[in-house]
Amino acid sequence: MSRPLRKLLDKAGMAVCVLLLVSPALLFFLWMLSLSLKFEIDNGAYPPILIPERFAWKNYTTILEGNSFLLYFWNSLIVTGAATLFALLVGVPAGYGIARMRAHKSAVVIMIARMTPGLSFLIPLFLLFQWLGLLGTLWPQIIIHLVVTVPIVIWIMIGYFETTPMELEEAAMVDGATRWQIFAKVALPIAKPGIVVAFILSVIFSWNNFVFGIVLASRETRTLPVAVYNMLSFEQVSWGPLAAAALVVTLPVLILTVAAQRQIVAGLTAGAVKGG
Amino acid sequence: MSILTSSDRVAGAASVGRTKRLRPSYWPFVVPALVVVVGVIVFPWVFTLWMSAMEWRIGEEQRFVGLQNYVRLATDVRFLEAMGHTLVYTALSVVAPLVLGTAAALAFNTKLPARGLLRGIFVMPMMATPVAIALVWTMMFHPQLGVLNYLLSLVGIGPLQWVYHPSTVILSLVLVETWQWTPLVMLIVLGGLASLPTEPYESAQIDGATAWQRFRYLTLPMIKPFLMVAVIIRSIDALKSFDILYTITQGGPGTASETINLYLYSVAFTYYDIGYGSAIAVVFFVLIILLSLVLLHLRQRSAWNSGDGK
Amino acid sequence: MASVSIRNVRKSYGPVEIIKGVSIDIQDGEFVILVGPSGCGKSTLLRMIAGLEEISGGTVAIDDRVVNDMPPKDRDIAMVFQNYALYPHMTIADNMSFALRLKNTAKSEITAKVERAAGILGLGPLLDRFPRQLSGGQRQRVAMGRAIVRDPKVFLFDEPLSNLDAKLRVQMRTEIKEMHQRLKTTTVYVTHDQIEAMTMADKIVVMHDGIIEQIGAPLDLYDHPANMFVAGFIGSPAMNFIPGSIGGDGFTTEDGSRLPLGGRVPAASDGRPAVYGVRPEHFRLADEGLAAEVVVVEPTGSETQMVLRPLGTKAGREDRKRELTWVLRERTGARPGEVVRIAPDPALAHLFNPDTGLRL
Ligand SMILES: Nc1ncnc2c1ncn2[C@@H]1O[C@H](COP(=O)(O)OP(=O)(O)O)[C@@H](O)[C@H]1O
Ligand SMILES: [Mg+2]
Repeated sequence: MSRPLRKLLDKAGMAVCVLLLVSPALLFFLWMLSLSLKFEIDNGAYPPILIPERFAWKNYTTILEGNSFLLYFWNSLIVTGAATLFALLVGVPAGYGIARMRAHKSAVVIMIARMTPGLSFLIPLFLLFQWLGLLGTLWPQIIIHLVVTVPIVIWIMIGYFETTPMELEEAAMVDGATRWQIFAKVALPIAKPGIVVAFILSVIFSWNNFVFGIVLASRETRTLPVAVYNMLSFEQVSWGPLAAAALVVTLPVLILTVAAQRQIVAGLTAGAVKGG
Repeated sequence: MSILTSSDRVAGAASVGRTKRLRPSYWPFVVPALVVVVGVIVFPWVFTLWMSAMEWRIGEEQRFVGLQNYVRLATDVRFLEAMGHTLVYTALSVVAPLVLGTAAALAFNTKLPARGLLRGIFVMPMMATPVAIALVWTMMFHPQLGVLNYLLSLVGIGPLQWVYHPSTVILSLVLVETWQWTPLVMLIVLGGLASLPTEPYESAQIDGATAWQRFRYLTLPMIKPFLMVAVIIRSIDALKSFDILYTITQGGPGTASETINLYLYSVAFTYYDIGYGSAIAVVFFVLIILLSLVLLHLRQRSAWNSGDGK
Repeated sequence: MASVSIRNVRKSYGPVEIIKGVSIDIQDGEFVILVGPSGCGKSTLLRMIAGLEEISGGTVAIDDRVVNDMPPKDRDIAMVFQNYALYPHMTIADNMSFALRLKNTAKSEITAKVERAAGILGLGPLLDRFPRQLSGGQRQRVAMGRAIVRDPKVFLFDEPLSNLDAKLRVQMRTEIKEMHQRLKTTTVYVTHDQIEAMTMADKIVVMHDGIIEQIGAPLDLYDHPANMFVAGFIGSPAMNFIPGSIGGDGFTTEDGSRLPLGGRVPAASDGRPAVYGVRPEHFRLADEGLAAEVVVVEPTGSETQMVLRPLGTKAGREDRKRELTWVLRERTGARPGEVVRIAPDPALAHLFNPDTGLRL
């Protein structure tokens, strides 16, 4: 009689524990949502209000109506998309080559690249872009985001290709495949889950990147994180629209995180990578 | 007998002499990435090193000054203070997530309903856009209107000045960093816990060990290598931390929360003192590498010792 | 179909020589088995034939053409791997037709060949499935089907049955043998299991530590092992070795018992130390011979296996090596503790040089 009861209590205790653990994240994002849906008066109220009587949908409509926000969204999409696609294009074959050549030492370069502060790439590349006359276009940001995306992709793909059995590729060799055919028809299809992981993490860390943008972006080439930051410092907007803008910027990432948490966890614990 | 060995040698020599390889070479797969890595990663390293030996301000003549920038660094009070802030900030931002992340991992390492969803939510802070969450934290830190002071008032504490006072600014920023990065420690430790064998626990249970004893004498020693990985990654990331600090305080009030990274930003992109900024970048880089090497060395030792329970 | 000729082949990894000069001639259509203890270099040799490992010295020729520098895809061979190496993202049909599709074979021809191979192996209903949906035995068949479809010059097998359970292994042994009799494709087959080798091979190559100990037909190796290694490796339970010396017209064991040689005493060898080898099934009860105490009796129904301890040896660890195995076809009333006197038919006894291990 007491044993099942005790088990139940244990379970309940554990559940409370976990609820306690997720509450900082949960409450934070709820509060963010609340801020973004309140009018100025409600946001300034004391004691604070969690659920207002009237929702300030206009916080969202105003930021979306300003056509520059759509421009910044587009910029973010281009920069993240291009930097990720290019990283996959060069990084997936590189991960394959490094894994197959057992050139683990070359991965040290990737490690060090990950340890280097993003700012120290910025100074020389800033001068380079200035010299090339690229400032004012999206190219500098696309190129510098490769500093983040290429190492992520290579790192994850090395780990992935190392775990795919060599025997399969030997079978393909005996079956008459060239190295390109082996890569395209055997190695690549098997590595699809790894590519998905690399893609997701590359997108997230590129999308979130802020430091490259504040230096390299002009008014027309801002990405979303920079644009939102500029709302804070220059336009002195009220909390509601600001929180709404912040939420819109990070919402795609949050959705991706919950939807693909299994891949994200696999990728982060395999290489424990982080961009920037 | 001698005939056999000599013909042997001939055959051996013949095939050694040919250079054609049976296996395809994998170099063509690596070359494009190599070009990119050299262009956007190795070139900046080398170029930074070169610039650090120059007096170089944007829009002015540059000239070679040797180690002068480094000499200047050694006596730059603002830099030395920034170094101090960085070390304090880093130490706290390693320890707090480590403790909380390990606790969270122990809780997550049980059969929970909706475990995947819970884990997804738990991981959100570290994946969310740093600038976006920093903006919300700024609002929450507000001394009059912020929700944090309201919550504290409910238990009779405060009001605190949070990031608006030099004495509390670093601790407040550590709070954000901890909130953001505890999930990463949790994931790493969770991976470690998943790899543990079950027999020792069963035998310890038979031996009558309490839950705390099992954690102290079984779990902790066995996950020590994973904790060390977490410490390494956390240290590097905390040292490099930029987005949160820049968005919330920009190093203020005054320079009370200015870290090396923020100072580097000011020197290079506010004062456009490229040469001096490069010297800071080099020193910063060396600092990170040294710390990583020390930690990696410790990790090797911890892997060695992980069996003996100390 | 083709012949394969291996001449003085060597393989080194850095300073370590793994294959130390090996020569084998394989006739067109022959089924040759490389057998030896694990780690002796069988897989390495097979992989050199396949072109998956560089050859450090010597030559491999297929149909009299040296292929040392020819990449695997040009050698026209098919290989069945230990873990089958089925492409997990392709259906069974696609797995089997992969090589043909790479060669841009006509669709109708591919279908015909796949169906024929599927027919031979009974894979017809499984063609649309993926490898993960098959059992171990079925995967094994698909791996063979992939080889058959190719219609290659040579089949290479690397321990193809070692991942199957005992019963399936016996069944697949028969199937592979039947397949070979039907297709008559030259086959090189690697195993560490001497029973597989004995039951399937036309010709067995016994390897040990990177060298060839003996090449011959299965029963040849069994009846006339060239040395103690082969004698001990082939046959189960293993041959009994009894140390002693040659004297008069017979053999004297270390404790003075006499064993018969049937007049096959090598010339000028009186008093010379030697090892007397007897297969467990060749002992008979005898008036003269070795006196031994029965230690264990293990009846299996069809035969009885006994462990005997020669009198004068102790039960200690050291003397465990001296224990003898005796296999009887008929049932016996012998009980542990009983003492029996046994000797082989002299025609079936073997003699070896104790220093070189070579047959005398
Ligand atoms: N790539 C390698 N590098 C070094 N030694 C190897 C390599 N591959 C195999 N060996 C060694 O070669 C020997 C023979 O291996 P293998 O041919 O696989 O043996 P078998 O198949 O007979 O069990 C083993 O001792 C193994 O350790
Ligand atoms: Mg082998």
